[in-house]
Amino acid sequence: TVNKVELAPLVNDKYQDPLWKGGAPSPAEEQPAPRGRAESPAQLSGWVEKSKKEMRARQLKVERKLSIAASQLAVEGQAKAKAKGKAKAKAKANKTKAQRPWRAPEDRKSNHRKILQQMVQSSLECFLFLQQPEEAEKFLLMYHNSRAKRHLLNVDAYNIVMRSWARKGCLQHVHRLFSMLESTGLQPSLDSYAAVLECMGRSQVPAIAIRRCVKQLKNNGFVVDELFQKCLFEEDEKEKVLRAIRTIQPKYQLPPPPSSKTCKSSLLQAFYSRKTMMPYPKMDFSVQELREHFQQQLEMELDSTVTIESVESTKPLTPQAIKAVKSGGKELGESGGCTSGGKGGCSPVGTWGEMQDPLCLPLSQVLNTVSPQGESLAVLARDLSTKVYNRYVTQRKLRSRQLEKVQEVYKDYIRLLARDSRVGVYLPREYWEKLVVEAGFGPSLNLKDCSWPYVILMRLGMHLLELLVQAVRVPRNILNPRLEPRLIPVLYHIYSFRSTWQIGLIKPHPVFSQLVSDAAETTLTFNSSVIPMLCPPVPWTSPHFGAFVLNDTKLMRFVDGAVQHQLLLEQCPLVNLHPVLDALNQLGNCAWKINQPVLDIIISIFNDKGNEKLDIPPPISEAPRPPAAPGNSTNGNKSHKHELLLCKKKAAEMHSLRMDALYKLSIANYVRDKVFWFPHNMDFRGRTYPCPPYFNHLGNDVTRAILLFAEGRPLGPKGLDWLKIHLINLTGLKKNNALRERLEYANEIMEEILDSADHPLTGRKWWMNTDEPWQALACCMEIAKASRSPDPAAYVSHFPVHQDGSCNGLQHYAALGRDLIGAMSVNLMPCGVPQDVYSVVAQQVEEFRKKDAEQGVKVAQVLQGFISRKVVKQTVMTVVYGVTRYGGRLQMEKRLKEIEFPEEYLWEASRYLVKQVFNSIKEMFSATRDIQNWLTESAKLIAQSGQTVEWVTPLGLPIVQPYYRSKSTLLPPPTLCCRKPDTVKQKNAFPPNFIHSLDSTHMMLTALHCLRSGLTFVSVHDCYWTHALTVDAMNQICRQQFVALHSEKILQDLSKFMVEKYCSPDREMRALWQSKLMEQLSNVPKTGRSSGPEHFGDEGREVGSGPQHR
Amino acid sequence: MQFLKVFTFFFFYFPPSGPGILTRTLLNAGVRVVALENNSAFLPNLQSLENSLDGQLKVIYGDFFRLDPLVTGTLKPPAMCSDKLFETIGVEAVPWSADVPVRVFGIVPQIKERIILWRLLFALYECSSIYKYGRVELNVFVSEKEYKVLTAKAGDARAYQTLSILWQVGCEIQLLHMEPWSSFLTNLKNRGLAVPKSMRLPNDHLCLVRLTPRQNLFTGVLKPTNSSTFIFLVKQCLAKPTYRLTDRLNSWSLDSDGKLLRELEIPKNTATRDLYPEDYRRLFEALQNSNMFTETWFHDEVLHSIRKINL
Repeated sequence: TVNKVELAPLVNDKYQDPLWKGGAPSPAEEQPAPRGRAESPAQLSGWVEKSKKEMRARQLKVERKLSIAASQLAVEGQAKAKAKGKAKAKAKANKTKAQRPWRAPEDRKSNHRKILQQMVQSSLECFLFLQQPEEAEKFLLMYHNSRAKRHLLNVDAYNIVMRSWARKGCLQHVHRLFSMLESTGLQPSLDSYAAVLECMGRSQVPAIAIRRCVKQLKNNGFVVDELFQKCLFEEDEKEKVLRAIRTIQPKYQLPPPPSSKTCKSSLLQAFYSRKTMMPYPKMDFSVQELREHFQQQLEMELDSTVTIESVESTKPLTPQAIKAVKSGGKELGESGGCTSGGKGGCSPVGTWGEMQDPLCLPLSQVLNTVSPQGESLAVLARDLSTKVYNRYVTQRKLRSRQLEKVQEVYKDYIRLLARDSRVGVYLPREYWEKLVVEAGFGPSLNLKDCSWPYVILMRLGMHLLELLVQAVRVPRNILNPRLEPRLIPVLYHIYSFRSTWQIGLIKPHPVFSQLVSDAAETTLTFNSSVIPMLCPPVPWTSPHFGAFVLNDTKLMRFVDGAVQHQLLLEQCPLVNLHPVLDALNQLGNCAWKINQPVLDIIISIFNDKGNEKLDIPPPISEAPRPPAAPGNSTNGNKSHKHELLLCKKKAAEMHSLRMDALYKLSIANYVRDKVFWFPHNMDFRGRTYPCPPYFNHLGNDVTRAILLFAEGRPLGPKGLDWLKIHLINLTGLKKNNALRERLEYANEIMEEILDSADHPLTGRKWWMNTDEPWQALACCMEIAKASRSPDPAAYVSHFPVHQDGSCNGLQHYAALGRDLIGAMSVNLMPCGVPQDVYSVVAQQVEEFRKKDAEQGVKVAQVLQGFISRKVVKQTVMTVVYGVTRYGGRLQMEKRLKEIEFPEEYLWEASRYLVKQVFNSIKEMFSATRDIQNWLTESAKLIAQSGQTVEWVTPLGLPIVQPYYRSKSTLLPPPTLCCRKPDTVKQKNAFPPNFIHSLDSTHMMLTALHCLRSGLTFVSVHDCYWTHALTVDAMNQICRQQFVALHSEKILQDLSKFMVEKYCSPDREMRALWQSKLMEQLSNVPKTGRSSGPEHFGDEGREVGSGPQHR
Repeated sequence: MQFLKVFTFFFFYFPPSGPGILTRTLLNAGVRVVALENNSAFLPNLQSLENSLDGQLKVIYGDFFRLDPLVTGTLKPPAMCSDKLFETIGVEAVPWSADVPVRVFGIVPQIKERIILWRLLFALYECSSIYKYGRVELNVFVSEKEYKVLTAKAGDARAYQTLSILWQVGCEIQLLHMEPWSSFLTNLKNRGLAVPKSMRLPNDHLCLVRLTPRQNLFTGVLKPTNSSTFIFLVKQCLAKPTYRLTDRLNSWSLDSDGKLLRELEIPKNTATRDLYPEDYRRLFEALQNSNMFTETWFHDEVLHSIRKINL
């Protein structure tokens, strides 16, 4: 392992010492600028080398101090008796001082303590990882010996230190810690005994000692079997414990695994019933192929970054630029070079490479990617430390040999999916669990919880950024040799002021940005988690395990610093999560490939100045040029400045759009010949998202157009028709016509379709004038190919056909409230023509207007001829999501401006329209508003009582709204965990979030049942995709599941859950608010006339005439 | 209120529910008064007063603190344009070195106090809006806490802020009178004079403060054209008041190894909040003279920040 002695020669730099030994870091002292001035370029590169070394040394120290830093944060006040002087050099010392003793109501205090405990634990975990039991113990003692701080230690803290000694086989130390633990009055836990036994197993102590230990274990109410059932082991810990046990009971056998439970949800009885279960659908790959794919994916993740070709065609460099880039490139190399050492994933513990790697690469990535416009300090810091954390987790997985086991299990798992092997009837999750049990020995696949609290992440990131800001310099004259040579910082802090707030930004020096853009980088470097997976994702089996092979992925994405839903998921019995996990696995198992012809066309336009109308962002060179400065009149000067500013803003926007498109297209190009998968996870409401952020099927029109199912299916008898209908849906035409009419229309314009397919860029370009041009083009091409094949029904299509929910939120409300009229207008009721709720509302509003106009209301008269579907659409759509009159009026104002409504009446007219829209919705969806109000009011009372709103979806997923009143993300840390709920947000967001959770439940139900029927299924929230062949089948399932979902007593269940949760009977109902809350929660709003969803027939979500395209 | 005697002109900002005492005091002192009234409900009363006074009082429907708003397009009263106002009252622009052309008397609305102080400051440094007509003197009631900020000494952790530096460089600040809040009719309904809470600074009075732009403000390197750089510099420095000035300058590539600070005889370990306003001015002038700004990103940043500053 690395220790101080090894470090010494490197640290022995005269610029280095002040930073760590002499109080706060001072760039003035350590910056080598004065020398730089005298140096020739050759010497400069020498400096670069040197500073590289400096950086490394510093990073090493940082790594070693990570844990110390963490601990410092955890300590309240200044009074940390840090034995080591060097640790005091932390820049954070002053911040800790600023922290005032924090007072909180009792109930929140425990939560607060929990986070502090977590901080202590993650520090100790770091020492365990670094195999430094001495340091860990020192750290622990610091808390143990202080009466004020001892309460921050829990059993787990002692356990971690015991484990790190146990790993070295130092029984004496373990014993001492054990008695320390007992002396504090804490109960030793199962893990404590596991650590003691492991150490005994390792050091081969006499049986009598072991027997004594086991006896004590039993006295504490534990059973030996539990050790193997409940504890999580790393490396060879399990074997060692077993060895110890076998010393006293030679014939001891491992306990059988607990029998797996099945989900009891009534919605999924059929799905989980063993009788009707079918073998899992096969993929078109052999075991061997899938194993090779897995190997590729694994190597990619081990490298942690991927460098891919950029699709942007490079511009020729000017000789001047080349020269500058050459010398400046070294500067970049300075950071890039750091990565060279530590690629070998399995290198022995504590080598140079492993130590520096986690820090170096993310640091250099910051340099390479920071946008010229600058980035928020907090965002950068969080990203940076998250990267460091992820690498730490990766290293831990390697070290604990967890990876080996995953590899082993995955190799067998693949047999479930491969076409050339037979296994029994299993779901991916079930099969994986079974294989894990069979694998028996070795480390557990779940790592012991080691996540770093948000505060630590932020502080670490800030610290690393500060290092970068201070260390990385560039010669000022690199682009302009006439300037005097001087090294200047590449990154600097700047502040942006927003009313009373100031936001810290990090910006690169323009010289540096210029250098980077001149360098015309032809490669892009991404985190490996940004690229789609090259093998089927690891199935989710618990909230901590699934998706990527190595990259740490959370089942639920979290909003900054919120940990509540993570806790909630952990507390939730795993069996309740099974449906959700299975649905995510199902979505993730869909294989994709690239639509190459479309991709090529897009790239050609991308490299040919882009096209804003087609949503291909033009390059920055197409940005508007700022006008030349006019005369010096002060007024002209001001407007000139304003114009300049607008140009800059536009350029900045174009830059970010362009980069976004570049990333997407480059990734697509990288996987163009491959089959790939998008592992999925969810947000806190259960909405599912693919994990790779840039390129995925949730993206815009461009990205969707280049995605195809890897699996092909024949079109079948109705497939071609569905393709045509899909095309018309994509164009946005024929919104109010029946599907049959849309099909007829498609047949009428067949010539245009074929022309678009054959001559996309040179023909009549029909496709360009549609709502979603690129998807339309892709669809045209598919139709052309299918219709020209000898037998269209047999044509094998990879094309995904979409089915959109029509105003989905309103559908759920209408079904919840059993609103007949409303249900009809959102296509829940049988009806000849697909109904369009927006048109219906528009009609209704128009009627109101006419009446008012007759009665002489001025606004109503002015509005004549202005009310249309388009005007009301956005407001109607957002009503479900709780838009207020205020917001609705703004929307209306925008729409009216677009259609050139006379400006002097704008305000009045928009206010009038919003009122009328709300009225007509109230009339059509009589129960909807009641339900909304009930939800809002309940949430308000809950939040006012100081609690966050929680509920459980019909599939059993626990949900908590993560909205808290927050001030700074940084200071003071304890507030993060015990913030009060933000009443306004809790209340306003509850109805939409609740509807979203129902929506996602419906999607998951559909996904699972599609799996049972063997359909390919993916979703973009309420838009479902499948093969043309299976559209009808999917629609049927979708409808059935909608009815099934709403046959549950959703609102009653919600009310029951909340009453139990928030009005516990043991609490006396003494306060007024409590009885008020109780009354509110139990008073479920009355629903509409019809008694049940059966009334909607199984036409629910009417499909004969379509869940239609938006 | 003796100081009121010698004026040629007044703008009088009328507190929303004011009983007109101040107007009468001024009129009794025998000066010409132009009253800007932003509440149309009070106009008729004032207008009848105007008619009875034979030209000593002129009443205009307008809001002094909504002069020259940033929005483009036609202005709806009470918002108005300073050019038009000065034309109406017949005041010509005078050079900066000349004597005070107009004195303004009024109460800064509490709810927007900060914003108004900032906007006046920008106008002052740009010589725009009312300051286009010369060194307009303001006699305004501000809350005690803002007065403390305006007059704060360097090093005062609570009160010394960007606003302190910029106002002290720009104006002579004189306290004319302090009046406890209790003597004012507070009107919570339209929040005209609701007493704002203040945790860090005392806030028990309204302070009548005279802000006279310094005659020598633009005689040196500082000019209306480059003043936005000065404002930007001070703002950025004071964003982290405890940081050392030399570190800041270094990181912005404005000073190499403290040479500049040595020349200015500013100690190396000075925190940004410890530097006196005049020293900030000297620092700016030194930087401007050495062409430091033009060749660094600082120039661009200033440009970029204009819009945000003005809001």
